[in-house]
Amino acid sequence: MSAISLEQGLLEAAVTALPPDALSAVREAAVASFAANGFPTTRHEDWKYTNLSAAAALSNTWLQDKPAQNEAQAVAIDTEIPEQIDAHWITIINGMVDPDSLSNLDSLIDNGITVSRLTDGVDEGSIIVDDPMSAFNAALLQDGLYIKVADDSTLDKPIGLLLIDDGSVAVTQVRIVIEVGENAKLRIVECPLSAGGDKQFSNSVTQVVLSDSGELDFVRIQQRQKHHLSVNRFAARLKRNSVLNYNNFEFGGELARNDIVADIVGEGASVNLLGLYLAGGRQHIDNHTRVDHRVGPAKSTEEYRGILNGRARCVFNGKAIVHAGADGTDASQSNHNLLLSDQAEIDTKPELEIYADDVKCSHGATVGQLDKSALFYLRSRGLDKDQATQALTRAFASAILSKLAIDECHEYLVSAVDRQLDALIDEE
Amino acid sequence: MNMLEIKNLRAGIGDTEILTGLSLSVKPGEVHAIMGPNGSGKSTLALVIAGHEDYEVYEGTVEFLGKNLLDLEPEERAREGIFLGFQYPVEIPGVNNAYLLKAAVNAKRKHEGLGEIDAFEFLQIARETMAMLDMDPSFLNRGVNEGFSGGEKKRNEILQMAVLKPRLAILDETDSGLDIDALKAVANGINALRDPERSIVLVTHYQRLLDYVEPDFVHVLSQGKIVRSGDKSLALQLEERGYDWVRQAASA
Repeated sequence: MSAISLEQGLLEAAVTALPPDALSAVREAAVASFAANGFPTTRHEDWKYTNLSAAAALSNTWLQDKPAQNEAQAVAIDTEIPEQIDAHWITIINGMVDPDSLSNLDSLIDNGITVSRLTDGVDEGSIIVDDPMSAFNAALLQDGLYIKVADDSTLDKPIGLLLIDDGSVAVTQVRIVIEVGENAKLRIVECPLSAGGDKQFSNSVTQVVLSDSGELDFVRIQQRQKHHLSVNRFAARLKRNSVLNYNNFEFGGELARNDIVADIVGEGASVNLLGLYLAGGRQHIDNHTRVDHRVGPAKSTEEYRGILNGRARCVFNGKAIVHAGADGTDASQSNHNLLLSDQAEIDTKPELEIYADDVKCSHGATVGQLDKSALFYLRSRGLDKDQATQALTRAFASAILSKLAIDECHEYLVSAVDRQLDALIDEE
Repeated sequence: MNMLEIKNLRAGIGDTEILTGLSLSVKPGEVHAIMGPNGSGKSTLALVIAGHEDYEVYEGTVEFLGKNLLDLEPEERAREGIFLGFQYPVEIPGVNNAYLLKAAVNAKRKHEGLGEIDAFEFLQIARETMAMLDMDPSFLNRGVNEGFSGGEKKRNEILQMAVLKPRLAILDETDSGLDIDALKAVANGINALRDPERSIVLVTHYQRLLDYVEPDFVHVLSQGKIVRSGDKSLALQLEERGYDWVRQAASA
């Protein structure tokens, strides 16, 4: 199969056509760096199962029309999330930060929290480009969100990010830059949504630096619509004794690829990655995680679970690299999958690369079906097949929900998981 | 009308025939004990009545209150009033015991055209029944049979039965693996449910449960069919003379 690639000439022309702003230099540098690799293809080991041809084709068409300067405008998207999850909400529409929602957070400055738009200005070198898709993101970047928590600061409730692709822009870039100061704590709930029936592609990057003893709890609840394609990169750098709890719940979209990268550069740091993906129809969900243990002692845990029905295809690739000298590393990862149909497919690959001596590492993966004897037991008590399946899949998912990093979204997520499971089971 | 009417039942797994022409009639209010050596088909009989999909029925009929049971899904049989107490109750971590109990009650109520049970009323019934079975109320909030001992699992089966109040209960080796206290508690639970409108079939290897739950009839199952029927004295004879006695008698 010949892969469709992104046309560099179209990208260059589109970037040149954008009006100059605070991000002009970022875009120009990124265009050059994107040229070296282009979109990754399935020949690349990390992209073996996830084909970006459709995203590239859509991007080419869109670039041909020379994208104009985006404007954040209020869109009518029907969501009850801000009412159901208690948080300070910021709306980002097609990659542009809604200034009204941002001004609601002005008062947080007293708590040591600074929140601003990237168009307000960025420091040189502060927008990280470390892989082809983050280069594509930076090349077309027109805005983004910057969140900084000052040393020793913390917030009463999480910051909520509503990431909306409203359908008016076919290709969107989202960039979120987070800095957590020493001994500071931040909690973020990110909810990507989409509207409109046309195919769209979102390419997002969240970059995080955790200073010594800083803590970040981050929960992502992705519930985009059917025709949505996305590539999302979350990359964090962890200094001494810092803690990252990252949970991603992937329910929506036609194709969703996540790269979750944690770079442990300080002793005593701790990374906990937790994820749940529920996929049906022809959905494709790919979670690639990578934890680099550059120093020890430090700890990382990882647990991903998936429930698949229909012809869904999911990928889990969990890589932990223990670099030379990172003694005292404790790394564990697991991936468990439940396949409700014969035609669903999971490719799971936990990987450990160990170059240090004194380490404790474990990994495991399972793929199974619903326990038939449990199903019969429940039916023999009067529960119909769907109800029994619901109970068993919910039990499987609850192992992840019970470890959720942010309490404020627990209730919402429990009902979102129930809704999603109902829809999955109905599919049969 | 008979509660349960089995005629010439032949059933098994794939090509392996396990029940080889079994007939049995159970009237309302009766307690029957089905005894037999290992491999005689006791558990198969219980699972076929409950509708386990691994078992195939080749021939014969099974009627419950005049209705053809073999056409019904397992959950429909349960809602009609059949309860199977499992020999090996399944552990289902993550599914709450109270959830299952309540979902089971509501499935039956819905089938009967009733609304969902009041939450307070449900808890009260569950707690009273647990007290009778000498079960700690905390079991309600645990995963179904998760980490339960053998005796606790069997008590949990009786708890479900007592709350669901079936018309026909089939209890498969409910006495196996129980110490004397658990056996008495389980027997109490069964006896409390004896009723002129309810029938109970006890499937058991040993006679000892029958010391506490007195059967009206005892049947001996051998090689897939009932080879001898009698009153409770048959169980005592079996205990004394062993199953070889019946086997020989059957082939004679």
